[in-house]
Amino acid sequence: MAEMLLPKNQALRITRYEYRLVFEKKGRARYISHLDLMRAFQRVFKRAGIPLWYTQGFNPHAYLMFPLALSLGIDSSVEPLDIALTEELSFDEVRDRINWQMPEGLRIVSVGKPVMKHTEISSAEYELRLRTDLTPDETADAFRSFVSQDKIEVEKRTKKKGINLVDIKPHIELLSCEAADAETVLMLRLPAGSEFNLNTNVVLDAFEAYFKGRINSVYTTRTKIIAKNGESFT
Amino acid sequence: MKEIREKIEQLLLKTQKPARYIGGEHGSIVKDKSKVDVRFAFCFPDIYDVGMSHLGMKILYGLKNAVPNYWCERAFMPEKDFEALMRENDIPLYALESLDPVRDFDFIGFTLQYELSFTNVLEMLDLAGLPVYARDRKDLTPIVVGGGPCVCNPEPIAPFFDLFILGEGEDVNLELMRLYEKMKPLSPTKEEFLREAAKIEGIYVPQFYDVEYNEDGTVSSITPNVPEAKPKVTKRVIADFDHAYYPDSFVVPFTSIVHDRVVVEVLRGCIRGCRFCQAGFIYRPFREKSIATIAGETKSLCEQTGYEEVSLSSLSTSDHTRITELLTSLSDYTDKENINLSLPSLRIDTMSKEIIDRIAAVRKSGLTFAPEAGTQRLRDVINKNITEDEIMRTCKLAFAEGYQTVKLYFMLGLPDETDEDIAGIAELAQKVVDLYYQTPKEQRGKSIQVSVSASTFVPKPFTPFEFEPQATPEQIKHKQGFLLDNIKSKKIRISYHQMNVSVLEGILARGDRRIADAIYCAWRKGCTLDSWDEHFRFDLWQEAFAECGTDTAFYANRKRKYDEIMPWSHLDYMISREFLIRENKKAHEAKTTRNCSEGCSGCGVKKECGGVYCG
Repeated sequence: MAEMLLPKNQALRITRYEYRLVFEKKGRARYISHLDLMRAFQRVFKRAGIPLWYTQGFNPHAYLMFPLALSLGIDSSVEPLDIALTEELSFDEVRDRINWQMPEGLRIVSVGKPVMKHTEISSAEYELRLRTDLTPDETADAFRSFVSQDKIEVEKRTKKKGINLVDIKPHIELLSCEAADAETVLMLRLPAGSEFNLNTNVVLDAFEAYFKGRINSVYTTRTKIIAKNGESFT
Repeated sequence: MKEIREKIEQLLLKTQKPARYIGGEHGSIVKDKSKVDVRFAFCFPDIYDVGMSHLGMKILYGLKNAVPNYWCERAFMPEKDFEALMRENDIPLYALESLDPVRDFDFIGFTLQYELSFTNVLEMLDLAGLPVYARDRKDLTPIVVGGGPCVCNPEPIAPFFDLFILGEGEDVNLELMRLYEKMKPLSPTKEEFLREAAKIEGIYVPQFYDVEYNEDGTVSSITPNVPEAKPKVTKRVIADFDHAYYPDSFVVPFTSIVHDRVVVEVLRGCIRGCRFCQAGFIYRPFREKSIATIAGETKSLCEQTGYEEVSLSSLSTSDHTRITELLTSLSDYTDKENINLSLPSLRIDTMSKEIIDRIAAVRKSGLTFAPEAGTQRLRDVINKNITEDEIMRTCKLAFAEGYQTVKLYFMLGLPDETDEDIAGIAELAQKVVDLYYQTPKEQRGKSIQVSVSASTFVPKPFTPFEFEPQATPEQIKHKQGFLLDNIKSKKIRISYHQMNVSVLEGILARGDRRIADAIYCAWRKGCTLDSWDEHFRFDLWQEAFAECGTDTAFYANRKRKYDEIMPWSHLDYMISREFLIRENKKAHEAKTTRNCSEGCSGCGVKKECGGVYCG
């Protein structure tokens, strides 16, 4: 039995080739949670016959790394995913083989080598399309005055102290705010990454509490992930 | 339907695991509606996580969609949170592929896997915007169809269905859809269509049968009321099982489901004839697939799905005539591909060291055995032909390989059970614990945990125990308490099934048409998702039975005479009444019956059905 106790995958001795994929998550795929997305990609790679590099140890698992999680229900076409392979494949081949096996709403936009480290991610931009029971102009005005408050305090749960009040006002950057047809379109830049992350839902919840009208629907898209040097991360 | 989609999308973020309600999974099949002639909504009357694990749905989904102008889609019971949102926002039950309302489909098919899903059928019909009683659905479509094991006694839910499919669905589903495709241009009435459908072997149209009752409440006669309805409807069987349709692709869910892996069916039917087990009789005869077929299906499904685990499905995998060769062939492939091979449904008496090694090579998980009864005498009564020596021999091997958990499944309330038999459960569990401590320290695992699960026996139609009374709630309570008193070791953990669930199951399993109104009444009071402990409301069920004047003991706790006409007597599952009576008598004498591989016992299944050991 002794040989059976060795880690099943011996790929750890093999050179790893790193890739950074940029993918799109849209339509029905928007409702895939982060954990499920990880599993979905693993199965895509398996189906596509992508030679994934496995981690070392007694429970080897494929190396997949999402540098920045995307909240459930948000569209994006700028999502990074880092993988490592045991063989060197051309960028085009990696893209095409994966895309052939992707479920509806998921698609690889581009493939390259990872340039920046994950810790370089500092912020992200979002487009939010709101429909409310007020007019789009009224909603736009309300949002402008919402962000020009001195303080925007939200409740944040912590493990030790229970509920804390946090001021998110300094972290919200409103890039634009316009009425378009029946919608109000907001462009926001919010901190993102491992150091400090602000979710659009937190901002929206605070706005909803401030807002006199009722939000009927919101359609959110992450449009850009930005590094500390100001360049686009993906 | 763009409008439904927009509405759903706004609600998904307010619900748990929204990926269950939007479809779009890899392997799901979307067709061009304008090129489709027959649309079938396959409804699983439980939540997505359970329904997506069901093999029958995968088979029938693939089978129907393989016909270019037929489109089969899926629908599941929503969880309570999403159901409330659907009702608030006027979203009817929709199918996951097109997001179209199922009420616009030609067929709505329910698979009836367990009695406690009956209220979910009503809930789903109502959510679809349809009347739940078949008599109130006047239009030709949707035609509401039922299949699955509970159809061997569909009488309690007969008034809600247009027709039932008895037995294996591979051929008959397509025959039914072809008939519909042919008749649809002629715009038949519902009755005209059903009369033609009743001519198809295996199709049972309940409204074409009149049921009369005796003064004591038992059935006096079941008579066809149209010439097309046969006096006895016989179940369908796929005789050439090795060449039966099997899907080459599965729908791969995003959310994790109960059985999240490739499943390959290796054999159908069971040779054993355990007297309590309905599956062991209604799926007869025993047929198996060749190693080449199984290996081919395993490979193509692993490649198509990207799953890293494959499980062999059957009632008793180790009864495959070439099991060792099969496992060798499969693990050559799965080892190479880093795929786990899991083997549920192994019987311990056939488990060789070689098989144990095969499983151990993958993962040292727990062992699960189902001795079902605590003493040899009672195991003989139920014809579970396992001896204590065999259990001990297997556990000894397993402990020496480092296994640390053993699960033992038992039933309480079996016919002729005494306190001695219940004490036997505790003794057997204790012997397993003792065996662990006798295993040399350098071989055995760190600790031992023996889990004893004691469910309540429910007598089922088409078994030798269909005549037997179910233990009353008071008797069950005593038996559970007595078992608990007899457990001495901390290494033994006991778990029970909720007793009232079994009580309800017992009433529904052998009920007749008259209890349909009580099911309706319970559903109106809010009973749905009854198989989920957190949603099960026995108090509401009791109210419903009381209001409808149902004598529950009549159905659950009454001993039937051998010549009584059962509510399912007009349905032929090929198991003869004479055989069941013979088996019942032998049970009370604690005499076992040989299994099919040792010799035929004349259960009534004909050799034309393709059984390996028949004829």
